[in-house]
Amino acid sequence: MFTIRVNGVEHTVDASEDKPLLWVLRENLKLTGTKYGCGQALCGSCTVHVDGQPTRSCVMPISAVGNKQIRTIEDINTEHIGSLVQQTWQTLNVPQCGYCQSGQIMAATALLKNNASPSDQDIDKAMSGNICRCGTYPRIRKAIHKIAAEQL
Amino acid sequence: MTELDKISRRDFIRVSVLAGGGLLVACGGGGSSSRSNAPSGPGDNGGGTPVTPADAFQVGEFMRISTDNKITVLVGASEIGQGALTSIPMIVAEELDADWSQVTAEMSPVAANFNNPYFQNLLQFTVASSAIRGYFQGQRSVGAAVRQMLINAAAKRWGVEADTLRTEASFVIDDIGGRRASYGELSSAAAEEPIPNNPPLKDPAAYRIIGSSQQRLDAADKTNGSFRYGMDVDIPNMLTAVIARPPRFNGQALNVDDNAALAVPGVRSVHTILGGVAVVADDFWSADKGRKALIVQWNELLAGRTDSDTQRNAYNLRLNLPGLPIRTDGLVLLAQTLASETISADYYFPFMAHAAMEPLNVVVDYDGSSAEIWTGTQSATLDKIFAGLILGLLPDQITFHMMPSGGGFGRRGNPLADFVRDACAVAKAVRQPVKVIWTREDDMKGGFYRPAAAVRVSASIDSANNISAWTHRSVTQDVTALLYAENLLDSLADFTLPPLKELTDFETGMPYKIDNVLMDAHLTVNLAMPALWMRSVNKFSDVFAQETFIDELAMKVGKNPYNFRRDLLSEKPRHRAVLDAVADAAGWGFSSGGISQGIAVMGHWNSFVAQVVEVSVSANRELTIHRVVSAVDCGTAINPDLVIAQVESAVIFALSSILFGEILLEDGVVQQSNFDDYPVLRMYQTPVIETVIVNSGNPVGGVGELGVPCVGPALANAIFEATNERIRELPLTRSNFKIA
Repeated sequence: MFTIRVNGVEHTVDASEDKPLLWVLRENLKLTGTKYGCGQALCGSCTVHVDGQPTRSCVMPISAVGNKQIRTIEDINTEHIGSLVQQTWQTLNVPQCGYCQSGQIMAATALLKNNASPSDQDIDKAMSGNICRCGTYPRIRKAIHKIAAEQL
Repeated sequence: MTELDKISRRDFIRVSVLAGGGLLVACGGGGSSSRSNAPSGPGDNGGGTPVTPADAFQVGEFMRISTDNKITVLVGASEIGQGALTSIPMIVAEELDADWSQVTAEMSPVAANFNNPYFQNLLQFTVASSAIRGYFQGQRSVGAAVRQMLINAAAKRWGVEADTLRTEASFVIDDIGGRRASYGELSSAAAEEPIPNNPPLKDPAAYRIIGSSQQRLDAADKTNGSFRYGMDVDIPNMLTAVIARPPRFNGQALNVDDNAALAVPGVRSVHTILGGVAVVADDFWSADKGRKALIVQWNELLAGRTDSDTQRNAYNLRLNLPGLPIRTDGLVLLAQTLASETISADYYFPFMAHAAMEPLNVVVDYDGSSAEIWTGTQSATLDKIFAGLILGLLPDQITFHMMPSGGGFGRRGNPLADFVRDACAVAKAVRQPVKVIWTREDDMKGGFYRPAAAVRVSASIDSANNISAWTHRSVTQDVTALLYAENLLDSLADFTLPPLKELTDFETGMPYKIDNVLMDAHLTVNLAMPALWMRSVNKFSDVFAQETFIDELAMKVGKNPYNFRRDLLSEKPRHRAVLDAVADAAGWGFSSGGISQGIAVMGHWNSFVAQVVEVSVSANRELTIHRVVSAVDCGTAINPDLVIAQVESAVIFALSSILFGEILLEDGVVQQSNFDDYPVLRMYQTPVIETVIVNSGNPVGGVGELGVPCVGPALANAIFEATNERIRELPLTRSNFKIA
């Protein structure tokens, strides 16, 4: 049994200690907005915030979560920047298939929280761990710049 | 709901009053079989008159107008990221004169009425860039018919002639009487109106929604985590399974030691199925751990032994032998004999994996007498047929939910339904709801790749320095042969098979004015090496060869590659228009600062594209791709911003393939497994991408694949400009190029 704090709520979860946080979120807590893409921290689809840091939940065992605060895509709108990111993603038609976008949005939100005017190099650094096979990178870049320029 | 019974079978729309009010519109021949289909290819007039006979509509129960004036359009094409759930409703809304802000969309059920007209209304099949081309005309006619019924209902209510009324944004308006009524208010009465047979369609000049850049209808749900993919389906008592598949294709489990697997907490059972050994557990993690603990001996008598190096040698040898003629113009041999010079080049392209972000997955709830299935697919009709074969059920005993897909690129359009068959086999053994999940490694090693291909192109130059002959020979696997597989033929015995020409269409549409042309191909079937179409199919390889070789010829006769193409396209105005447009947009010939340009052009899917790639190459062979500029003519762009998004997508998809895409086999074993050894393009490697739409006003063309094939040759041509080195094989890592 593990007690973890997700989106401000405490949950007690019956899971083996090596079960990754990703699958705890998806299967035990039914928070399916966080996606499985590679299972090896290679694609970023499973990105959540752990104490505010973008983290690959597919390689983080439940036993390592402890008291840390987990935030997922389902709750990121409660943060001002997260909400801006979601709105701008919509305005610019960023998503295509959309499967990677939860991870992209979590990574972009973390970037903008730490850096209100990221350069292209900053964006490359923060976002290159998140794969998108539909090729939405140009619009993600544009959206991040737009938020920084107009709203931060 | 009460279905009105006054409409004859030949009427293409059935109308019902929704319980609680509102209008439900259904279209189609009225039966669940599509045997009575009349051919109704996409209209080709692009103008204002309907060309499709009234009884040919097979798009089914596809619209709901509720009394609060909201309209829901059911979409028969798969949503795989391309925006079908937005652009198809736009077509309906246009003719309906709907208030677009009140329109929503849902994926349709799997039923004959939603079949894709592009495939003669036989299948729901979202491949070959056919969604808009297939559904466009029918969706317009239905929107127009319902609009007329709403007008007629208003005319009756107000006691005026219908032709004194007009519509705007989901209202019928009586300008003379100074009154208006919403579609929602009128919907119940409209349901009583007779259905107009040939409702007039709008003049394209009057379009308000078609041709406007609209936000995707699924944008909000795709940014807040609520959009549901097959992977997210969760039903009561559902178990999760993973399948241990043979290391070589078509291997069979011989001996299974499942003791250790069954000892893993959470593992419920282990089942040997045709495709491998399924481990069924309470959750994914237990299933995956159980699979790791399995010990399986495989019978490999029939296993595939494809080896990348051996195959390449074999393909290269076959390039010397004549293949199946695809196109024969003039007298190539004579022209070659008379030529002052004939030059040729050989190319090679490896297997590639689609690697969609959502790994394959299927949920099946089978209870012995019926089944419910959920999966993201591009080929729901055939999936459902195969599910019936495996489960021993009739089509009406299966409810099939076509889920939106986290990427498809052709992999989810497998006519042999491999992933659905596997899942049904597991469900049949388990008799409890089960989700079969493919890990990334399963997905990468699971076959059905873009087939490897060898291509030889030659050209003859006459004494006046003109190109007098052109040959093009391809050696590859025929991915359409799968459609003719025996099982499928039995199931479809009463139907004619769909028009397949364009699925492979080895004729690349070589557009240049050359009098003597011979194109032929060796198309093999190798069931022990599963291959399938991948975004742009053979155009990826065949256009690469064509468009790099044309560049060589330009250099050979001392002409600028753009001007050379332009001169040879004097009879191809649409090719020429996109070529000119891209040269203009990219500033062709004006690069500086060590940046080299390359260009390429093609037409296919009733659309045309030309692209310029700008690259610089460092001394240690590091490529920096600065910019990719595209000009596209897709006839009529329904939603221009989504057209541009598809081109951006295609450019990045193509660059992944060109730079890195390679599945290698050693003695039948796939060597790649995940994104570490099968890299794809990332943010920092992505160039500036600019796209212009050339609005030709022609009938709608396909867009999903259009932006892929020319990127490779344009990049290779730019690399030649920079290095004097010709690229004859992909990926570029094979030529020791690195991406900066």
